[in-house]
Amino acid sequence: MSSPALPTNRDENWRYANLRAVAKARIELAPDVTVNIATATPQKLAGFERRIFVDGHFVASDETPDARVRLLDARTAGESFVAMLDADLASAGVDFALARMNAAHGDNVLLVELPDDSPPLNLELVYFAAAPAASGTSYPRVQVIAGRNTRLRLVERHLSVDASDSLVNGAFDILLRQDAQLDHVRVQSCASTAAVFDTLMAHVGERATYRFRTITLGGLAARSTAFIKLAGRAARCEYTAASVANGLQSLDAFAEIDHAAPDTTTREVFRGIATERGKLAFNGKMIVRENAFDADSDQSLKTLLTGSGAEAAARPQLEIYTDRVKAKHGATTGKLDDQMLFYLLSRGIERPMAQALLQWAFIEDAVSKVEPAELRREVEKLVSEQLLEVSSLGLVGDGP
Amino acid sequence: MSTLIRISNLSATVGGKKVLQGLSLELKAGEVHAIMGPNGSGKSTLAYVLAGRPGYEITGGTVEFMGRDLFGMAPEERARAGMFLGFQYPVEIPGVNNVYLLKAAVNAKRKAEGKPEVDAYEFLQLVRGKMKLMQMDESFLSRGVNEGFSGGEKKRNEILQMLVLEPTLAVLDETDSGLDIDALKVVAKGVNSLRAADRGVLLITHYQRLLDHIVPDYVHVLARGRIAKSGGKELAHELEQRGYDWVLEVA
Repeated sequence: MSSPALPTNRDENWRYANLRAVAKARIELAPDVTVNIATATPQKLAGFERRIFVDGHFVASDETPDARVRLLDARTAGESFVAMLDADLASAGVDFALARMNAAHGDNVLLVELPDDSPPLNLELVYFAAAPAASGTSYPRVQVIAGRNTRLRLVERHLSVDASDSLVNGAFDILLRQDAQLDHVRVQSCASTAAVFDTLMAHVGERATYRFRTITLGGLAARSTAFIKLAGRAARCEYTAASVANGLQSLDAFAEIDHAAPDTTTREVFRGIATERGKLAFNGKMIVRENAFDADSDQSLKTLLTGSGAEAAARPQLEIYTDRVKAKHGATTGKLDDQMLFYLLSRGIERPMAQALLQWAFIEDAVSKVEPAELRREVEKLVSEQLLEVSSLGLVGDGP
Repeated sequence: MSTLIRISNLSATVGGKKVLQGLSLELKAGEVHAIMGPNGSGKSTLAYVLAGRPGYEITGGTVEFMGRDLFGMAPEERARAGMFLGFQYPVEIPGVNNVYLLKAAVNAKRKAEGKPEVDAYEFLQLVRGKMKLMQMDESFLSRGVNEGFSGGEKKRNEILQMLVLEPTLAVLDETDSGLDIDALKVVAKGVNSLRAADRGVLLITHYQRLLDHIVPDYVHVLARGRIAKSGGKELAHELEQRGYDWVLEVA
């Protein structure tokens, strides 16, 4: 199979993306081999169903799995249904090259389909990356259809089994019907040798709420692409992202949120810390359509640089086609706040510790939104391990 | 009595502007000194210079703190050596919780003194006791440092930190500003509870009313960057009646 043309840094939404790993890897599906994941598997979240995958291949589920979660053959599942639903998305071309690769090479789709008014579901998906890129790519793929008045909590974790240079290319389709609520948490903590890409498309119906909390810590290169359409009146999106790039990591994200109906609301928060020679980018694009009267969007994008070789770019973009709109946005790239630093020093706290505390406080702004609390504590631990200075504080665990 | 701090002929500029111009002051253990003065006289600058806030340039004079050259010490060293600055405008630090800051500060000091870390249970008991004195709800412990606190709550939190850290010299910068009379009494009670033969307090204030509740041993009037007049506690009352202009004329 031939690979579709990949975006380059000359493409509008891909300026900071590092896709070299895709060009070098074997793009066919990674082989299905037995891998020992026992020690790397996180504790199961209380009250959640769980499915475990290795290199995109299904390996384990609960004893009595919920019938609303089904594994389908990719060939029968077809292309992205959200892309079909929103014709303008499908035409976006190069932005979906990675998702098309996923559809072309992946062999399964996890379909989560909650019929209208069906009971709430808590689902945890664990994706291990194990295969080196030379042997093939991992293609996680999930389709969510949340019917009217349903509630889904979806936790998605991406982990590495070892320090191999695995390539992961995920695709997520999400459809929320009227009054559906989705709490989606993604924790990407793959090895710093891996390359992790994903494309997410969401269609949010009337009065439905999509809360997405995404924590990106792993990968030598990572890129998340999200297209979220607030399609129904009073649809709401909360998009909270946190990233920490250290060493030579290059972590990039693009999120387009399209207000295509009246009274739609977005709350977008990004907090990123780049240390050492890490690179971070977040591009948050907000569109408010002509008919999206009284749309309300709020973007707060902040990055912190703590190494002389670190780079960060936080870029809000607004495209507004109506006057009746509230759109607030702020983006900062900077160093630690001098006044806060002096306050801590004046209490006798050592400078490295004071700096670490402030880094922690900065990122915690976004991390604190992760639910459930059990998962948040795990994420806090992962984040603190990634921030060398913070890890010495013992902030996470039994508490002070 | 031993001298805690000796300020000799101190001059400092901020942003190229001369703010302190030859200020001298000596404070001994057991004493409470009040520094009063009109707006812009250099009161807050003095507090910040003593605590080591960046942005102030020392252009002359010396300050000896606990027998050491103060300007040879980093802000955190000054704090660990026993200095405490009560901020006029305490900053909010969302994400760093109050009790964590308190514990980190106490342990930093203990570490510098070669002592082991504080026992978690005993520490919490100590903090709870001090909070009761400051009439603060325990829920403040788990909140971010000063996050969403009212003006009065921030000031009480400053005094709480002071009580937990037990400094040798507390420099309180307009701790009374923005407080209603009940809050003022609580803050004064906190400060008074710290008074001891081996400690000193430098109380910076614009108004005399704080000094009704924390009675100073000495009152100094700061004007044009130096001490224009010094006296006992009765000087504060005189200032209240006659205003600062009177001192400025004499000076």
